[in-house]
Amino acid sequence: MSKKPLEGLRVGDFSWFGAGPIAGNTLAQFGAEVIRVESEAKPDGLRRAHPFAMNPDGTFKGGFNVSGYYNNFNAGKLSLQLNLNEEKGQEIGYRLIEKCDFFLTNFTPRVIDKWNLRYEQIAKVNPKIIAAYAPMQGMEGPHRDYLGFGAVLTPVTGISEMSGFPNRPPFGIGTNYPDYVVNPGHTVTAMLAALRYRNRTGKGQCVELPQLESVVNTLGTAVPEHLINGTNPTRTGNRHPSYSPHGAFRCADDPESVNSPDRWVAIACRDEAEWLAAAAVLGHAELAGDGRFNSPVARKANEDELETLINSLTRERNANELCAALQAAGVPAGVVQHAQDMLDRDEHIRARGYYQYVDHPEAGREAHDGPVAVLSQTPGSVPGPAPLMGEHTMDVCERIIGLTMDEIADLLAEGVLM
Amino acid sequence: MADRALEGVRVIEFTDEVGSYCGRLLADLGAEVIKVEPPGGGRQRHVGPFVTGFENDADASLAFWVHNTSKKSVVLDLDLPNAKETARRLALSADIVIEDCPVGYLGARGLGYEDLHALKPSLVYTSVTGFGQTGPHANWAYSDIVGQAMGGIMTLAGEPTDPPNMIYGRQADISASIHAAQGTMIALLHAEATGEGQRVDVSAQEAVSMSQETAMQTWDFQKKNRTRTGETGSLPLKLPGAGTLKVKDGYILLFIIAPAGGDLPDLLDWMREEGKQDDLDDEPYRTIIGNMNMGWLTQLMSNPAEAASVIQHLPHINEVIGRFFAGKTAREAYEQGQERRLLIGIVSRPQDLAENTQLRERNWYVRFPEAPAGPPVEFPGPPYRLSETPAVVARPPRLGEHTEAVLAAL
Repeated sequence: MSKKPLEGLRVGDFSWFGAGPIAGNTLAQFGAEVIRVESEAKPDGLRRAHPFAMNPDGTFKGGFNVSGYYNNFNAGKLSLQLNLNEEKGQEIGYRLIEKCDFFLTNFTPRVIDKWNLRYEQIAKVNPKIIAAYAPMQGMEGPHRDYLGFGAVLTPVTGISEMSGFPNRPPFGIGTNYPDYVVNPGHTVTAMLAALRYRNRTGKGQCVELPQLESVVNTLGTAVPEHLINGTNPTRTGNRHPSYSPHGAFRCADDPESVNSPDRWVAIACRDEAEWLAAAAVLGHAELAGDGRFNSPVARKANEDELETLINSLTRERNANELCAALQAAGVPAGVVQHAQDMLDRDEHIRARGYYQYVDHPEAGREAHDGPVAVLSQTPGSVPGPAPLMGEHTMDVCERIIGLTMDEIADLLAEGVLM
Repeated sequence: MADRALEGVRVIEFTDEVGSYCGRLLADLGAEVIKVEPPGGGRQRHVGPFVTGFENDADASLAFWVHNTSKKSVVLDLDLPNAKETARRLALSADIVIEDCPVGYLGARGLGYEDLHALKPSLVYTSVTGFGQTGPHANWAYSDIVGQAMGGIMTLAGEPTDPPNMIYGRQADISASIHAAQGTMIALLHAEATGEGQRVDVSAQEAVSMSQETAMQTWDFQKKNRTRTGETGSLPLKLPGAGTLKVKDGYILLFIIAPAGGDLPDLLDWMREEGKQDDLDDEPYRTIIGNMNMGWLTQLMSNPAEAASVIQHLPHINEVIGRFFAGKTAREAYEQGQERRLLIGIVSRPQDLAENTQLRERNWYVRFPEAPAGPPVEFPGPPYRLSETPAVVARPPRLGEHTEAVLAAL
């Protein structure tokens, strides 16, 4: 097997929950050695969050090691249990950082200050470190200590205001969306850019990813519309400013979709050719010539009517068959899939091998998100199961930090290591 | 002037809606990114919204601007033999090619991965498409909402009785581009170390799918589909100190009962200071407020009789809290609440973000002294701050602005 491209690089992953650990997860998929620094004293909330693996009798497994939520974001990492509230714990943290190429965290500045993990502090022990901080608001500024737990980032960054139907309040999008791709992906991009700079100059640096800035930067045209045109746009459901029809349309129910029988097909017609083709597949080619619908301007003007009509034409159709027929005619269309589709029924995802399965000593066989970027010569892969809490404390202390067995025993007795 | 992280890296991109943001990330970090556009420009230049007064001007689409900062623009008609040859020479002058064309489109023009890799083995060739380069759906037509649908995130968003909701901002395209940027950086570092180039293949469907949160693992472990729950969210009923709340000029999100920051009694203190506590200091409200947190609720729900005795009082508590916040603007509720360590989020509208205290104090917004169309403007800044090699957001190019200069230097 070929060497992975980031082999030889070491990451001190002092992060928790989603955005930080996922950045470490990507680096681990491509070969970096990632050491998750954590502690039972203040465990990553995801270790105690659903979904948990199940026992054969249908009950949930318990403990720190069986959450699919945590395990999916921490595959193949090493877990060091270290109490950073203790001064001695902080010293061990520094000794680890000395041996790392990257430092990664998404704790708030308040916690970073308590643990003495500011860039200025860790750069003293390792001037070549690339240190990535991903707090919600930023490391400085009047809102730096604002609480950002869970669901608050989505409303604060404008996603809630701009998403969903206009007749509904801005209640959000059902997940803590920015945690999973936008923030960790930006973080990794910046860390790798900093690595290139270090390769060329030998200099480390501080990479700060204020999640607020990271997400607002990807908020479509909403803020530029205000800055440039002085407008204050709001949500428009599934519609598009120019393309029409553009939305999700109800198809026949699928009783085999577990607790989710309603089926929908998303359709986006970007030009007249696609609309002509879609109308034909829907069995009403004459609609394309109908004065209400025969140009993008006409369709936008009569969009309520158009959507009602399309829904009436899709309601009895099988979603997968309708989607395939639209695609065969060149229309961008897709079934609104759920996880059962993605894991068990989507032949395309299976053919590409996106989900990868590993055996976890406590959770059992579990699916993981594979690397999204497929590299032809130096591919990444899910490197192994997520670590048990503290599984590698001895290994990391001895092999990487260079502590003796006596020192480790003392630190364990003092509760600095766990 | 500060150093640039991607100094000396040349990128040629053949991208429209899906892959543009990947090129933008590299451009803001200092790479020279040359966008090859068809005559008249791609789709992105023709969709709204536009700068007011410049409607349907290919240089004035804000949808184009937000994904194409800091780039150069060269116009080439890839259906003409001469232009194909020019595009080939351009691509071979680059370290990285980024493309989001239908599978096979560039290959048919001598610009495919195999064609270019054979001539320049160190080239990184990144393809960002709806469904990737392989598999039975590789040739499927794609637009952002299709990726959001097929990638499993729409089914989680919206009221159960409504159609599934799309997330605003072309998030399938954004996710694909961000994953492509990571893969491209890994491949670039590898090429610089070893001379070996490669293809980077990104599917937007896969790129957005990690944003299903726990849905994938819930099916994997428990064989249940997570469904959309709308305004109620994951909570079984409307709880004091949780959920979306209407205020004087907009909305806020309360999550005070979460295990972070202050709790409901701290909110009651604030209400009392402003004389708006009403009867919440009386029983049974006082005790309920004192107990209310996620752990207590879970316990409560296991005892239906006791739960019922509490639940009957929640609407009144909700109402008094609602009245308190209804007297505040969203920004007041957010900033005053957060100063008290209460977990409150503003539901920011675009104007709130433009005026956001934190973003303004940290000088996040940048200025384009010369915009591609219209007067000078302010614009959102970069997603990250690098201390030695800052990302710099420079204005997007006008269509074909650099054709002459780039081709003359070729």
